[in-house]
Amino acid sequence: MIYNLAELPLAANYLIENAKSHKLWCFHGEMGVGKTTLIKELLLQLGVQDLVSSPSFSIVNEYKTQDGKSIYHFDFYRIKSVEEVYDLGFEMYFDSGNLCLIEWPEKIDEILENETCLTITLSLSQEKRQLTIA
Amino acid sequence: MLSQPSHINILAIESSCDDTAAAVLQNGNVLSNVVSSQLIHELYGGVVPELASRAHQQSIVPVVELALKKSGLNLNQLQAIAFTKGPGLIGSLMVGSSFAKSLAYALNIPLIGVHHMEAHVLAHFIPEPKPSFPFLCLTVSGGHTQIVRMDDYFSFEIIGKTIDDAAGEAFDKSAKLLGLPYPGGPLIDKYAQAGKVSFKFSQPQIPDLDFSFSGLKTNILYFLQKEVKQNENFVSENLPDICASIQDAIIKHLMKKLIIASDQTGIKNIALAGGVSANSGLRNAILQTGIEKQWQTFIPPFEFCTDNAAMVGITAHYKFLAQQFEPADTAPLARF
Repeated sequence: MIYNLAELPLAANYLIENAKSHKLWCFHGEMGVGKTTLIKELLLQLGVQDLVSSPSFSIVNEYKTQDGKSIYHFDFYRIKSVEEVYDLGFEMYFDSGNLCLIEWPEKIDEILENETCLTITLSLSQEKRQLTIA
Repeated sequence: MLSQPSHINILAIESSCDDTAAAVLQNGNVLSNVVSSQLIHELYGGVVPELASRAHQQSIVPVVELALKKSGLNLNQLQAIAFTKGPGLIGSLMVGSSFAKSLAYALNIPLIGVHHMEAHVLAHFIPEPKPSFPFLCLTVSGGHTQIVRMDDYFSFEIIGKTIDDAAGEAFDKSAKLLGLPYPGGPLIDKYAQAGKVSFKFSQPQIPDLDFSFSGLKTNILYFLQKEVKQNENFVSENLPDICASIQDAIIKHLMKKLIIASDQTGIKNIALAGGVSANSGLRNAILQTGIEKQWQTFIPPFEFCTDNAAMVGITAHYKFLAQQFEPADTAPLARF
């Protein structure tokens, strides 16, 4: 689908409706295309009231939904080697059964190859955003 | 155990993110302040440590040993062990907290847990001149952008914060859009010093004392795409001016909110903390505005601005005086 900033809630809702039972959601797309912005809206709709900010520096942010579930928000942008992600103990998060929202998943292809992921691709289309799910 | 020691000697450990750090303080004076990247640099020359809890596992003993050695004290002279309790990466925090707990238990001395962001602010009590209360602290780093109001050592209120990207991240990601290597923030500063503010980026419109840098990043992306379409050498031909313009936009946003915060609270003691305090443009802006607005400004030396253990130690010093100790079943918190 194609959306602009005002239609962000629709885009997030579309994702939630079409994600089936996927727990690992991978967000592909260039810097500045709106990955974090979309995730903020998603988390809002999923019942997270915490302040959602970019985990680029912290690598992973953990949020709690109103009913006490955890959601993990990753950003692997500054990862230099996949070893760092092994050392981070990624299994603890990925295998937790909690929803994992992953920015810059291409940095950890080697790990995600063995996982079942929802692939979400964002791209710029003039001043709007195009969102596809696979 | 606490029978009025003649000195308060504290070993402090910080492991919330990339670097493992240890410091020894005596009566609030820093005797040693060691950071793993520095240690590894001294030992092997220029190797940047990887971000990982395993790296902390590897570094913690050598870093603590070096901090003790440089301080001239031994373990039996310590009155307390301090550690960063959070926020941060849980695996990384766990290494520091487990080590600190074990050591405090073995030495039978108190354990002090410290909030990482509070420590950044209290780093201002390491060097002279020290700010008097109340003061406002703008903490800007790769992971944080906050205005904190301090009314006392432990009375800490975040009155403004970023709703998306941190300021340091805005620098690093803008640098990435320009094709500069990560972390590119310091490079933007370097090029900006040779450039003029020639391009205009929209200032984030965000209410209250909060910050937002995500829109600015997109604004810069669109701007570059448009310009590069017309001239594929646009970036290389205009790098200093682009950097100066980006730096100006980021700093303007920071300063605008800081000025509002000062005007609203009437507080004129203004402090700067966090790794982005190394940015020359930001330093100048604070000093310049400080002169115009008759602020008392406080910018500590850089070693106390980035993640370090001395700031954990100084926070622990005041906690020791207030007898604020951790129970034996304490655990670190990724969210604090």
